[in-house]
Amino acid sequence: MSTQAVSRTHGDQMITTIPTIHLAAPMPGFPAHTRFALVRLNDEGLLYAFTSLDNPELRFLVVPPDPFFENYTPEIPDESLALLGYPEAEDVITMLVITAGKEATAANLMAPIVINTVNRMALQVVLAGTEMPVRAILNKK
Amino acid sequence: MLVLTRRAGESVMIGDDVVITVLEARGDVIRLGIQAPRDVRVHREEVYRELQAANREAASPTDAVVDELSRTLRPPSEPDAPQDNR
Repeated sequence: MSTQAVSRTHGDQMITTIPTIHLAAPMPGFPAHTRFALVRLNDEGLLYAFTSLDNPELRFLVVPPDPFFENYTPEIPDESLALLGYPEAEDVITMLVITAGKEATAANLMAPIVINTVNRMALQVVLAGTEMPVRAILNKK
Repeated sequence: MLVLTRRAGESVMIGDDVVITVLEARGDVIRLGIQAPRDVRVHREEVYRELQAANREAASPTDAVVDELSRTLRPPSEPDAPQDNR
């Protein structure tokens, strides 16, 4: 069983800050970091910082998928939904980790960060078995 | 590395609650069944390594990069299909 999770970051639903988020499992590569904060960085709500509370020097830039990838509505695997506490679809925020390169900015569509806004549990969900790219061009310089 | 020989249908236990069962061996393809608690995340190694590398590359951009992106990042005027540049 899978549930469609759609991020809601438009209009009056635009989130500003979630001060404490607990990762149900650490992000690959960063096993020591399980508490994060999500902070909006620009007025349009297009860019957010996902900053470790365990060591604020670790931060990721994340974006809501909707403005950039119109048809991105990944199915969240049931094991991941269980770790998130089986959120209702409207309580879920999806964010994409982006990497600023010299020539382009890329977004990770294969492993979105999915946040349950009610219990503030989050997970970098791995959409294994899909053809989602780890580095999709977000914009070019 | 510990090396064990197992036949189809036989299992290996890792710790108290992870069981890996050889389901089928056909040529150089081995099918495994994995039983693990929910909080034990199971990934194909190459997928996990790729994500690890991608996360490390994405981690901790400089303030200059963050400032520039927060000023300049805009959605595409014509929404594009996701592009793969692997």
